[in-house]
Amino acid sequence: MSMFRLMGASLLAVTVGAGAAMAETSKMRIALSNNYAGNSWRQAMLKSWDKITKKAVADGIVAEAPAFTTAENQVTEQAAQIQNLILQGYNAIVVNAASPTALNGVVKQACDAGIVVVSFDGIVNEPCAYRIAVDFKKMGSIQVDYMAGRLPKGGNLLEIRGLAGVFVDDAISGGIHEGVAKNPQFKIVSSVHGDWAQDVAQKAVAGVLPSLPQIAGVVTQGGDGYGAARAFAAAGRPTPLITLGNRYDELQWWKEQKTANGYETMSVSIAPGVSTLAFWVAQMILDGKQVPKDLTVPFLQINQDTLEKSLATTEKGSVANVEYTLDDAKAVAAGK
Amino acid sequence: MMPAIRRLSAKPWIWSYLGMTLVWLATTIHSGGTGGAQVLTAALSFATFTVIVGIGQMFVITTGPGNVDLSIPSTISLAGVVAMKVMEGSDDLLVVGLVIALACGLAVGIFNYLLIRILRIPPIIATLSSSFLVLSTAIAYGRGLKIKPPPLLADFTTAQVWGLPILALVVILFAMAMSVLLHRTLYGRSVMAIGQNMRAARLAGIRVERVRFLTYTLSAVLASLTGYLLAGFSGGASLNMGQEYLLASIAVVVIGGTSVAGGRANIPGIWGAAMFLFLLVTMLNTFGASAGIRLILTGVIIIAVITTAGGDEPQR
Repeated sequence: MSMFRLMGASLLAVTVGAGAAMAETSKMRIALSNNYAGNSWRQAMLKSWDKITKKAVADGIVAEAPAFTTAENQVTEQAAQIQNLILQGYNAIVVNAASPTALNGVVKQACDAGIVVVSFDGIVNEPCAYRIAVDFKKMGSIQVDYMAGRLPKGGNLLEIRGLAGVFVDDAISGGIHEGVAKNPQFKIVSSVHGDWAQDVAQKAVAGVLPSLPQIAGVVTQGGDGYGAARAFAAAGRPTPLITLGNRYDELQWWKEQKTANGYETMSVSIAPGVSTLAFWVAQMILDGKQVPKDLTVPFLQINQDTLEKSLATTEKGSVANVEYTLDDAKAVAAGK
Repeated sequence: MMPAIRRLSAKPWIWSYLGMTLVWLATTIHSGGTGGAQVLTAALSFATFTVIVGIGQMFVITTGPGNVDLSIPSTISLAGVVAMKVMEGSDDLLVVGLVIALACGLAVGIFNYLLIRILRIPPIIATLSSSFLVLSTAIAYGRGLKIKPPPLLADFTTAQVWGLPILALVVILFAMAMSVLLHRTLYGRSVMAIGQNMRAARLAGIRVERVRFLTYTLSAVLASLTGYLLAGFSGGASLNMGQEYLLASIAVVVIGGTSVAGGRANIPGIWGAAMFLFLLVTMLNTFGASAGIRLILTGVIIIAVITTAGGDEPQR
């Protein structure tokens, strides 16, 4: 620890010590290395980081916590960026990685230089780094579990998958199929790829729908539920139980249905604010707390009674979000 | 009977309709005859958008080898995003939104042509690089927002009479008008003449550069119209809404029997090809083919159709 403090002191000429409670890390610097910013989820992620870290700096919890995003979503570019961050002497680097393996070399370099590396969302599998990973499989299976609770008699399911060839798509779909295996009253009668986009999902569903029997439920991967709903409406078929993925248009549609006919469903995804969880985890480690190397990102689940609140705090066109606190990070680290 | 068949099979667009019918039959038989009509309705709805951009792309491709408009997807996104943001879901601003969307297209078209003409950049590179600029503009302007279309626009783009989408009917009429433009007007004949031999066309007194300018502008304006309508149809504009129209716009032109080498074009084939492409994906989805097989088969079938349909004598 003393090495960190020396490094921080020599690099930062003056730090005014406010909030003395967190004095352990008040002179430390945490950087965010982000590989991509080209969609609304990543935009919200960066915004949350900015908001929480600005406050943490003002409160004197850390000295600074800037965010760096690479332009091209390239591994080589991000590796060079992390190398720069090592040279600049950051105490911790929080990474949303372009590849789980290709950054391992530079992550090892950072660890060897005594830097804490916390990866989240896009994790790295270098053992010296911390990982805050998403349990995508569970994201699929909890949808089927919810269906089983709502539709005890079961029925036909339509599965909307994501972008073919991406591991996230395979993982969520695997979870859905596991859930269906556990609940044999359900049968997946068709799987189409919606590419996590409303218009693609709408098109794919509109194509297969005429040939399908009655559909009781639609399981999705997020970003595709609203398009599916539009395809059902356009075909003049009753709206099935569609699980959603926290996108603004999905929540807005849910609210309209709820007001019009009491429609009930659930929505689950990962909050972009998970970047702030990673920030607090990094701060805890710098503070000398014991944190397991592998953590799991909590889901942000929206239910019938929390819909209005979530919709009100979700930016138009964005995705439902929460920012995490140090206490949340402690709970996640404790495995709760 | 035989002469009629021979005459029909000489039409370059007949293959796309043949493919469309076969694929539709296979789908309907597989699903035990249910929903055959609804599948056609859905195909008409979605083909409409491909047809509008396809017509623009057809004019561009017909002006000769190397001419292609790769900025169509980003123009769709830009026009959709800008129009939805300007209208803010209000029916009163319907016309304003349309005008602004078309203005976006006009600007992109002029910009494309200037790159090609003044900077002498080959069209593929010019339109590709302008597409990056256009999409960046859309990102900066829209920030990934998905704003709902005005209810009137949403109703119009999704309305049906007796299972026929109104928008599709309008676009069929539009395609007929474009067919007249292509075959019966000075502009259309000039496009084909330039595609057959630009030098000869110039020597014959055709104002080649003016025709090319009009063609690139037409393509971009049609793309922007698609963005406006598509945003209404799918409940809002998004940044990636144009993505799949890059390959689709070129595929429908080629499958529809327009010569890739330029100089020979037809419009009915675009409708057939757009329906074919939608029904093909639907068929493979209905068969439950995995994504990998689906992509491979789509590629193979497109190549097969192009080789049979496009197997006519080269121009020179």
